[in-house]
Amino acid sequence: MLEQLGQDPNVAVYCTSALHHPQSTGSRHFIVIDALSIGTSNVLGVGKSCLLLQFTDKRFQPVHDLTIGVEFGARMITIDGKQIKLQIWDTAGQESFRSITRSYYRGAAGALLVYDITRRDTFNHLTTWLEDARQHSNSNMVIMLIGNKSDLEARREVKKEEGEAFAREHGLIFMETSAKTAANVEEAFINTAKEIYQKIQDGVFDINNEANGIKIGPQHSPANQNMPSGGGGGNQGGNCC
Amino acid sequence: MILVLASAVLSPGSSCVINCISKRSDDVSPLQAVVEQLSQQLVHLTAQVEANKNRIDDTQRAVGFTARKKLADVHGLRLYETIVFDDVVYNAGDGYDPETGFFTAPVAGSYVFFLQTMLHNLDEERLFLDITKNGSTLARAHERRCSRSEILNRKQTASSFPTALWDMPRRRMRLPEDTTTRWTTSEIFLELSKAVNNRLVLRRLCHRVQTSSLLEDRRDAVRALKALSKVQNRVVEYSVVLSLSPSVYKFRLEVGTQAMDVLTKVLETDRSDVEITGYALDTLFNVMSNEPSEEDEMTSKSSVDLGEQFTEIFIKKQENVTMLISLLEEYDFHIRWPTVRLLTVLLTNRLKDLQECILVIPMAVSKLMDLLVDSREIIRNDALLLLNQLTKGHANIQKIVAFENAFERILDIIVEEGASDGGIVVEDCLLLLLNLLKNNASNQNFFKEGSYIQRISPFLELGSASAPSKQSGWSAQKVTNIHLILQLVRTLVSPSNPQNQTVACQKVMNQCGLLQQLCSILMASGVPADVLTETINTVSEVIRGNQANQEYFASVLAPSNPPRPAIVVLLMSMVNEKQPFVLRCAVLYCFQSFLYKNEVGQSQIIQTLLPTTADVNTITAGQLLCGGLFSTDSLSNWFAAVALLHAVIGRNTNNRGQLLRVQLATSLGNPPVSLLQQCCNILAQGAKLQTRIGLLMLLCTWMADCPIAVNHFLTNSANVSYLISQVSSSEGDELELIVQGLCAFLLGLCMVFNDNQNSSFTKASLKEVIQNRIGEEVFADKLTQVAKNENYTRAAKKPHLNYKHPSEIVFDHEFTKLFKNLENDVLVAVSGEENSGLKATSRREHENLVENYKEVIKEQDQKLNDMSQRVLELQSKHSAATATIDELRSQVQQLKDQNALLKAQKGSQSSNHLQGTPPGGDNVEKFQKEIQMLRFQVAEKDLQIEQLTTSLTTLEASLASQIGDENKENSPSEAAVLQISINRLNMELKDLRVNCDQKDTEISTLRSQLEGSQQDLLQLQNNSSNSQGFLDSRVTEMTEEIRRLSEEKTSLQERLKKSNEENLKLANKIRVLEEEREAEAEDKRSLNEELETLKKEQDDLLVLLADQDGKINKFKQRLKDLGQVVEEDEEEFDDEEEEMGEEA
Repeated sequence: MLEQLGQDPNVAVYCTSALHHPQSTGSRHFIVIDALSIGTSNVLGVGKSCLLLQFTDKRFQPVHDLTIGVEFGARMITIDGKQIKLQIWDTAGQESFRSITRSYYRGAAGALLVYDITRRDTFNHLTTWLEDARQHSNSNMVIMLIGNKSDLEARREVKKEEGEAFAREHGLIFMETSAKTAANVEEAFINTAKEIYQKIQDGVFDINNEANGIKIGPQHSPANQNMPSGGGGGNQGGNCC
Repeated sequence: MILVLASAVLSPGSSCVINCISKRSDDVSPLQAVVEQLSQQLVHLTAQVEANKNRIDDTQRAVGFTARKKLADVHGLRLYETIVFDDVVYNAGDGYDPETGFFTAPVAGSYVFFLQTMLHNLDEERLFLDITKNGSTLARAHERRCSRSEILNRKQTASSFPTALWDMPRRRMRLPEDTTTRWTTSEIFLELSKAVNNRLVLRRLCHRVQTSSLLEDRRDAVRALKALSKVQNRVVEYSVVLSLSPSVYKFRLEVGTQAMDVLTKVLETDRSDVEITGYALDTLFNVMSNEPSEEDEMTSKSSVDLGEQFTEIFIKKQENVTMLISLLEEYDFHIRWPTVRLLTVLLTNRLKDLQECILVIPMAVSKLMDLLVDSREIIRNDALLLLNQLTKGHANIQKIVAFENAFERILDIIVEEGASDGGIVVEDCLLLLLNLLKNNASNQNFFKEGSYIQRISPFLELGSASAPSKQSGWSAQKVTNIHLILQLVRTLVSPSNPQNQTVACQKVMNQCGLLQQLCSILMASGVPADVLTETINTVSEVIRGNQANQEYFASVLAPSNPPRPAIVVLLMSMVNEKQPFVLRCAVLYCFQSFLYKNEVGQSQIIQTLLPTTADVNTITAGQLLCGGLFSTDSLSNWFAAVALLHAVIGRNTNNRGQLLRVQLATSLGNPPVSLLQQCCNILAQGAKLQTRIGLLMLLCTWMADCPIAVNHFLTNSANVSYLISQVSSSEGDELELIVQGLCAFLLGLCMVFNDNQNSSFTKASLKEVIQNRIGEEVFADKLTQVAKNENYTRAAKKPHLNYKHPSEIVFDHEFTKLFKNLENDVLVAVSGEENSGLKATSRREHENLVENYKEVIKEQDQKLNDMSQRVLELQSKHSAATATIDELRSQVQQLKDQNALLKAQKGSQSSNHLQGTPPGGDNVEKFQKEIQMLRFQVAEKDLQIEQLTTSLTTLEASLASQIGDENKENSPSEAAVLQISINRLNMELKDLRVNCDQKDTEISTLRSQLEGSQQDLLQLQNNSSNSQGFLDSRVTEMTEEIRRLSEEKTSLQERLKKSNEENLKLANKIRVLEEEREAEAEDKRSLNEELETLKKEQDDLLVLLADQDGKINKFKQRLKDLGQVVEEDEEEFDDEEEEMGEEA
C-alpha cells in the first residue's frame, strides 16, 4: 500500500509536468504580426512590391510585374530579444483592385502607406488611402508613412518636410526609404513592428483575438512528442503496481 | 370583342363546360363588321345545317349543338368562369344547357368538340380556354397576342379541338421511360387540373404576401409558398403517335417567376421575424436548386438552365446578395443555415458573377469565414462546401480567404474530425485546402511561412492503431483522404511551381519529417495500390532536384530480410510485369526524380553496373536495370532503358564513358558482349516497338556529347547500316515513323559528336553516306516527324508520367528536352554546306575551346591569386624594410649629428690645440675659464640683486599702500616687522654689494692678466688664421653680393610699383577717354536723330509739295479748261521759291 501511495504522486507529477510543458516552452512561441503595404499607383508603381522584396529577400528588382490583387511575403525579426514573424500583404495600388485591398484592412495590425517622392500625384492621393484605411481597419492599426525612391534625389517632387508635416498632421510615423539602395527599408519595417509590439505590451492589442492581425505562432519545439512519452511513463507506473 | 363559338357533335355523355381562364382585350370596332358578316354567314349556314339535321333526325336520333357568345370585351370574363354560350343556334338532343353552359351527353358514345375563338386586342398574356369534363380539363385552346392579319388567318384555320396544348416549356416533355406504366387519360387529366389549381393558389398566395398587413398571415402564405415550390405534378404530352408521356412538373418555374420579388421583399421587410425569413430563404433555395430527384434525373440538364436563370435574375440586383451576406450575421439557425445553403446554390449556378459580387461587398469573405467557427456542425460543414465553391478558380478570393486565417481553421477542423481517419468533412476540408493552394504561389508561400506544412505531416501517420486491421483498415473515405493529403503535398512541390518556392518547401518537408512519413508509407504493408502509387509520385516530387532529400531517400532501407535500399525494392516492382501499370510508372518517376540533378546518385547507380563492384549475392539497381532491359516484357525494356537514360544524362559525360565498360555475359560459352552492342543487337533483331524506342532514346542520350561512345558505336559497321536502312525505309505506321525519326537522330548525333578517330566513319564520310543513301530532305523530314508526334508534346509538357495505358508510353520527358536542344544541331550538320555543317561541330569545338580557355583562365586566376598574395607579402616586407631603413636613417642622422658635433668639438679642440701649443696657452685657458665662471657668478648675483630690488620695491609699494590704507586699523607692529625685514634685506644687499666690489676688483686684475696673454695669443693667431681670414673675406664678399642683389631687387620692386602706378594712371585716362567717347557717341546719336527728324520733315514737305504740284496742275488744267493761259515757268519758279522759303 505504501509503495502504491508512493508511486502515485510520482505519476501525477510526471503528468502535470507534461501538461505544463507547452506553457513552460512559451518562449519558443513567437508573435505573428500581419501588416499591409498600401499606396496608389497608375502605371508605374510607387515601389511597394520592391520594398517588400528588399525586406524579405534583400534584393532589388528594377522591373517588377504589376501586382494583381495581393502578394504575400514574410520575414522573421527580433525585437527586444523576442522573435516576431512579420507577415506582409503587398496590395495592388490600382483603383480597380480597391475592393480587394479593403478586404485586408480588418485583419492587419499595421500598414505601410507608401508614396513616391518623385511623383506628387502619389502624395496627393494619400488622403484618400488614409481615409480608406481608417474606415475599414481596426482603430489601433499602426500606420507608417513611407516616401520611397529617396535615391532619386534629382527628380524629387515632394519635399521631406511635406511628408513629415503630413505624418504629424495625421499621427503617423514617417520615413523616407529607397528600395533600390535598401536605405531605411529594414528600419521602416522594423519600426512599424516595434510600434505594434509596444502596443501589445501596453495591452492595446489582444494577442488572443486574431482579428487584430496578431497571434501566437506555432511552436517549433517537438512538444507533442513529449506527450506520448509522458503517457507511457504513466502506464509503466501502473504496471509496476 | 370576342366571339366564342362552340359546337359539339355526337359524343359520349357527361357534361362539358367551356371555361375562360385568362383574358384580356380592348374594344375594337373595325372587326365588328367582319364578325357581323361572319355571323350572318354562320346563321345562313346553320340554317342549312338545321335543314339537313332535320332530315337526319328523321332517320336517327342525333345529338349535337352549336352555340355562340358575343362579348363586348374580354374584361367581361372572370377567371375560371364558365362561359355560357347563350346564343344557341342548334341543339339536337337538348344536351347543351344555355342557362348553365354545361353540356350533358344524353347518349353514350364518342363526342367531338369544335371550339372556335375570334379575339383581338389581346394585348396581354394569352387567353386560355379549357374544355373540362367533370371538373377536370380535357383540352385547352389558347390565343396569343398577335397581329390583326394573324387573327384573320386564324379565323380561316380556326383553332379547334382536339388542340390539347399545355402551357409549359415543351422541352420538359419526354417519352415514358418504361412502357409498362401506361397512363390512363383520367389520371393525366387529374394531374393537370391539380396543376391548374396550384397555379391559382400560387397567385393568391403571392397576393396575400404582398398585401396582407398581418405578419401571421404573411408567414402562413410564405410557408405555403415553400410547400408549393416543392410540389410536383405529373404532366403529359400528346406526341404525334398519340402515346402519352408522363413527366414530372415542379412548381419551381411558377413560384420562381411569380414569387421571387415577393420573397426578396419579405427578406427585406420581415427580417425581424425568424420564421418567415427562414421560409422565404427555403423557398428561394427550392427555386434555385437543381437537385435532381429520382424521377427528374434525365431532365436535370434542362433544369440546370432553370436554376441558372433564376440565379441570374436574383443576383442581377447586387443588394440581394448584400442582403444575404448581412443575414449571415443572424445567429439563429433557421436563418443562418438556409442562407448558407442558398448562397452555395447560387454559387453553383453562377460562379463567376457571384464571386465578383461577393468580392465587392465589404467584409463579405470575413463573414463567410466566421461560419467556420460556428459551434453547430451542420452550419460549419455547409460553410465548408460554400467556401469550396467560392474559392474555385479565383486567386484573389483564395488569397483573402487565406488571409482570414483559413489554413489555421481548416487544419483545426481536420484535427478535430480525426485527421485522415475522419469522414467526409475532412475530405471537404482537404478539398478546400487544395483549392486555396493550387496555382496560387502567394498562398503557397503563406502556407510554408505559416509553418502549416509541419501540421500536415502528422496526418500521414499510419499509427499503430490501424495496424491490426491492415486489410480492412483502409476505408474508402480514408483512401480518399490520404489521396487528397498527398495531392496537397504535391501541389506545394510541383515541378511547375517557381523553383525557389519548391526548393524551400522540399527543405521544410525534410526537416519536419514529412518525407520520412511518406517513406514509411512506402515501406508499410497493406497500403492499397493506388495510395501507394500516389505516395511514390509524391515522394518523387518531394525529392526531385533537392540534394538533401535525394540523399535521405537513398538511405531509406526497406524492412526486408536482408534489408535492401528502398530504391532497389522499388526498381524490382518496376521491372515486374505483374505490378499495376500506374505503379510502375510512378516508380520510374521516382527513380527519375532521384537522379534529377544528382550526379552522385547517377554515378552510384552506374557503379553497380560495373563488374568490379558487382556482388553476386546482393541484388543491385544495376542488375535490375539490365534484367529489365533484356527481359521479354517490352514495357520493362522501356522502363529500364529510360531509367538508365536518366543515370547517364546531364552535363557530366563521365558516366557515359563508364557505361561503355559494362560487359554482359550472354550465355555460357559465348564471349561477353558490351552493353552498347547488346542494345544495338536487340534493335537490329527487330524487337517490339516500345523496346526499340526505349533503346534508341537511351543510345541517343548516350552518344550525345560523348565522342568515345560514338566511336564505340561506329566500330561495328552493322550498327550504321541498320540505322541507314531504318531511316531510308518509307513504310510504316505513325509509331514506326517515330522509330525512324529516332534512328535519324542517332545517326545525326554520331556525326555531330564524331571525333574522326574511326577511319571508316568520319564526319565527312557519314555526311556523304546520309546525303547519298538517304537524302537530306528525307532525313530532315524523318527527324522533324518526331517532334510533331502527339506523344512527344505530351511527354514534353511535364516530367510526371501521367499515363493510363501502357500503349500511351512513348517518350520520356528528359529525352524530349535533349532532343529539342540537339535537333537543330543535327539538322544543320547534315543539311548545311561544308561551313554550316561544320558550324554545329565547330560550336562544339568552340565550346571545347572555351572550356580550355576557361581552364587556362582558371589557372591564370590561380596564378594571379598567388601573385597577389606574394605581392602582399612583399609589400609587408617592403614596409617593414622601409621602417627599418627609416630607423637606420634616423640612426645615421643621429650619428651624423654626433659626428658633426664631434667634428665641431674636434674643430674647436684642434683650434684650442693650435692655441694650446704655444707656452702660456694653458694659463690663458684657465684664465678664460675663470673669467667665464666669474662672469657667470656676477651675472647670477646681478640677477639676485635685481630680484631682490624688485621684491623690495613691490614690498615697499605694498607697504606704502598698506600703510596708507591700514595704518589706523592694523597694528603698527606689522609695519615694524616689515621694516625690520626690509632693513635686514638692505643689510644683505650691502654685504652682497661689497662682495661684488671685491669680485669686480678680482675680475679687473684677471682681465689685465688676460689682456696680456691675449696679446700673446693674437700673435699666434695671426700665424694660424691666415686661411681663415681668406674664407672670412669671401664670406663677406658673398654677403655683400647678396646685399647688392637684394638692393637691386628692392629697386626693381620700386620700379614695378612705379610702373603699376603709371598703369593705373593710364587706365584712368582710358576710362576718361571712353567716357568722352560715349558722350560723343551720345552726341552723334542725338545728331543722327535730329538728322532723321529733319529728313522726315523734308519727306513730309516733299509729299506736300507733290500734292501741291498735283493741285496746281489740276488748277492749271482747270484754268486751261476755263480758257485762261497760264505760264508754266512762272508758276514753277514761284513754287520753288516757296519751297526754299519753307525750308529756310
